[in-house]
Amino acid sequence: MTRRCVAVRAGLTSSVVVCLAALAVFDGSAQEHAPILVDRTKESGLDFSHVNGAAGELRLPEVIGAGGALFDYDNDGDLDVYLVQGAGSGGRLFRNDLRVTPGTRSLHFTDVTEASGIVARGYGMGAATGDFDNDGCVDLYLTHLRGNQLLHNNCNGTFTDVTEKSGTGDQRWSTSATFFDYDRDGWLDLYVAHYVDFRADMKRTCFSAGSARDYCNPVVYPPVADRLLHNDRNGTFSDVSARAGLTRSPARGLGVLASDINGDGWIDIYVANDGDPNRLWINQQGTGVFKDEGLLAGVALNRAGQAQGSMGIDLGDIDGDGDEDLFVTNLDNEANTLYINVGRGLFEDRTVEHGLFKLGFTGFGTRFIDYDSDGWLDLIVANGAVRHLSAQVQKGDPYPLKQRSQLFHNDRRGTFVDVSAAAGPAFAPMQVARGIAAGDLDNDGSIDIVIFNNSGPARVLMNEVRARGHWLGVRAIDPRYHRDALQSRVELAGRGGRNVVRRVQVDGSYCTASDPRVMFGLGDDQSMQTVRVQWGPGDVEEFRGLAVDRYWILERGKAAKAS
Amino acid sequence: MRYLVTLATASILGVTACNTARESAPAAPATPSLKTVSLPDMSTAAESVQTQLRARYESMTAAIGKPGVASSELADAYGEMGKLFMAAEFYDAAEACLTNAQTLAPSEMKWPYYLGHVFRLEHDDARAVTAFERVLMLQPTDVPTLVWLSELHLAANRTDEAERLLTTAKSLAPESGAVSFGLGRVALARQQYSQAVTFLENALRVAPAATRVHYPLALAYRGIGNARAADAHLKLRGDVDPPQADPLMADLAGLLQNAAAYETRGTRALDARQWADAADNLSKAVELSPRNAFTRLNLGTALYMQGNADRALEQYREAVRLSPGLARAHFGIGVIMESRGRDDEAIAAFSTAVASDPAYLEARFTLANALRRNGRVQESLPHYAEIIRINPAVSQASFGYAIGLVRLARYQEARDRLQDSMKAFPDQPGFAHALARLLAAAPDDRVRDGARAEMIMTRLLERQRTLALAETMAMTQAELGRFQAAIRWQRDAIAMARQSGGGAIVSRLTEVLKQYEAGRPCRVPWTNDDPVHHPRPGA
Repeated sequence: MTRRCVAVRAGLTSSVVVCLAALAVFDGSAQEHAPILVDRTKESGLDFSHVNGAAGELRLPEVIGAGGALFDYDNDGDLDVYLVQGAGSGGRLFRNDLRVTPGTRSLHFTDVTEASGIVARGYGMGAATGDFDNDGCVDLYLTHLRGNQLLHNNCNGTFTDVTEKSGTGDQRWSTSATFFDYDRDGWLDLYVAHYVDFRADMKRTCFSAGSARDYCNPVVYPPVADRLLHNDRNGTFSDVSARAGLTRSPARGLGVLASDINGDGWIDIYVANDGDPNRLWINQQGTGVFKDEGLLAGVALNRAGQAQGSMGIDLGDIDGDGDEDLFVTNLDNEANTLYINVGRGLFEDRTVEHGLFKLGFTGFGTRFIDYDSDGWLDLIVANGAVRHLSAQVQKGDPYPLKQRSQLFHNDRRGTFVDVSAAAGPAFAPMQVARGIAAGDLDNDGSIDIVIFNNSGPARVLMNEVRARGHWLGVRAIDPRYHRDALQSRVELAGRGGRNVVRRVQVDGSYCTASDPRVMFGLGDDQSMQTVRVQWGPGDVEEFRGLAVDRYWILERGKAAKAS
Repeated sequence: MRYLVTLATASILGVTACNTARESAPAAPATPSLKTVSLPDMSTAAESVQTQLRARYESMTAAIGKPGVASSELADAYGEMGKLFMAAEFYDAAEACLTNAQTLAPSEMKWPYYLGHVFRLEHDDARAVTAFERVLMLQPTDVPTLVWLSELHLAANRTDEAERLLTTAKSLAPESGAVSFGLGRVALARQQYSQAVTFLENALRVAPAATRVHYPLALAYRGIGNARAADAHLKLRGDVDPPQADPLMADLAGLLQNAAAYETRGTRALDARQWADAADNLSKAVELSPRNAFTRLNLGTALYMQGNADRALEQYREAVRLSPGLARAHFGIGVIMESRGRDDEAIAAFSTAVASDPAYLEARFTLANALRRNGRVQESLPHYAEIIRINPAVSQASFGYAIGLVRLARYQEARDRLQDSMKAFPDQPGFAHALARLLAAAPDDRVRDGARAEMIMTRLLERQRTLALAETMAMTQAELGRFQAAIRWQRDAIAMARQSGGGAIVSRLTEVLKQYEAGRPCRVPWTNDDPVHHPRPGA
């Protein structure tokens, strides 16, 4: 699409080509049967395989990890990838050596782990990104079965392990984490989800109802309360979990997302729990106290009132009504859950009505992505079971947890249509997928995907939709803190009488961090655009005259810059 | 070992036999086409389940090979095999058997009923709907089928179909909580909140123990703007469905007889806090698999929760005999010993639990408390410290550590600990109170700070007034030299103690009152026999 728009600027003849192409944009990508996402793992050089260390004992940690992160660690303008490892030699950092020449984009990743100084210790689960010391370089937090690590980005291509010094170590089983500024002091605090109290002597032997050995239901292990760490602005963090009110409600946390969910200007936390009600920790106006209002808000349970085996999360305005809806992935016998925002901080489970009630898939990572740039958020879900699938057991599969991933197209009324079958061979493989991260790996204005598989290779899925709309990309930076304005609300003004709402969001999904850039799909609209960034309550800045089909850097108080 | 036998040949023989039989029965249906049934790979199943499946398979094979076998008998043979496959979660094999049973006995409703459940369990809702609809063609008044089918429609947001079935069910079973529950959820899905409230309140009226009703009812109340009622019902929500008699599924639930199945049922009951059911199933699991230490541990817990400590102790002891490092079983022994006042044995058991699993915080905390209660304060401190190191959020450990320091007369350290804990746990006034008492009455001059104690106490007394708080305020006033005020607070405390019938406390408080009357402050924050130094078993 970028190439086509470059051609537009080149002359009249090309603009005719665009008009013809634009006609194809809105016929629904599902019908065209051309690949949507194409597996380019091999070509990209992202050679990484997750090892879960399974030795036949069916230990729960084997099936829970892992994730990774997309982040620009070297500030060269493209997304690098960190991949979390389970057992074995530790996670790996791959540098993106994207080469762009007129008419070509060549994506190639180089393993720079050793040079970066990153030494991941322990059995890995996930990763979170954020510039905790406001030095303009994104840092990395790794969650583990035991012993999390904070890796400070030295702004020179290397990292220093500052776990001990920063006070962010954690011996409890941690899964997803997120950086967010809960007290609006400009410094990123850290929320870490904990799963269960799993110890070596608790080698529970578990069975399916039919008596076959199987992985245990996590309810056999005690839940562990999550952790909130306050950034003390001097390189150290204080554990404020008890004061925040988190320790009174232990639950089996897996997915985490930070956002101002009730619209009061303070960042809240939503946690997807496995078998326990999901928590909506409403920030009590920056007092350091959080109150779980998930039940009354309607996002703790499904419509039947059941706590589900929840894993991944994403937030997005799927129906174009200006508020954000919540999607949670669950076990294969439960179906995923879509909570529609009905205003006043209240939600309703309308999974069925929006076409997302599908049994038979255990969802983990998930992201709303507008893959065809039509202005409506589509949805991708990474699947993989946690208990043996009898059909695969019967076939003698040694790791019978494999499922295919799913892609759903938004029909522009907020209803989703499963287009996985037509989305290309990338959606055919049966795998045990866990984390999923979204980002524009080749900076062509389309969202690509990295799937982090359990006991298998990570996969790079490049967005190669042919009939894609125009787009506008935004990187929102608050120069007071020299970093991405995480969780800020970004609005594209006046799209068909409505404002399109997005958020600077790297968290959510499952054990992963994604691209901080905000992407707006524009369909056939090539006109100059206006974007408003809400830097804080009452602090809204409007940026006008933004040309389409390019990225813009929007800094608070400064003129927009094309990147 | 794989045990795969194809029944293709036998099946054909069986059909032939059926045909022969039917030849003499003019009303018999045309030759049915049966699916091939074979034993699946059962290698992952427990040996007893494999045995059960093989035995049933042989019965079925025998029925198939029986000359002149009646269709109904053959249907039963396939059907019973299908039920067992279904219970063992071999759904493909179950489907084949039940389909054959249905083919051979087309007027029998139970086979499509089970088939409907197989499809439902395999997430094939479309075929499940078809199967249940077939049941209703055979038996239109079967309430369980009406309810199950309505659930499938409701899950797919086909509210009209669900309502139609539930209305029929209601006419047949007007007092069914399950039916009202379904109708309430239909109304809720349509955002007809008032109607939903009516149906769901009715479901609760007829099935008050059905805690699952509370959540949709809360949402319905939320929908009509009644947040208070919504909140009240949210607090009551649970996982108990309105009862619905379902004899066919109840029959299926009891089919598998092996340790794993009993253990699974038992641990599920344990998780649901259904102690009697848990004990019953786990006892059967122990009978079939007596050397499984975990099963005995779980059985011990179920028995203990039922109030049968003697039998629980037997199970825990057997569990540690079988698996000496099983920390939770040692802990269970310790808890029972502690409840019987045999603290030495309890401490030994807790110590073993902690040695087996150093990160077992519950055992370590109970051990630390038991040591402190028995005057072994110095020994208790490292355990509290380790708990705090592993999980700083365990506030009780911080409190135990600080009070242990008081008992050891390490007042400055105790004060510092309490100060830190007060900041870390601002919602727990116990730390502030303990700090104020130490500031008011510590024998160490470097620790006392009457003004600060008064500031803390004033805040605490704004929220509540208790005997202990009044006593501490009296200490504070005495420390500040305001003995008349101290006397008033102490008399308040004595009055409260008299009201609660505490003779010994009244005597102790009266002794201290005399000190204040003599113009002498208190220098004993807690007497050695104060309950704060003697954490109760299980505290």
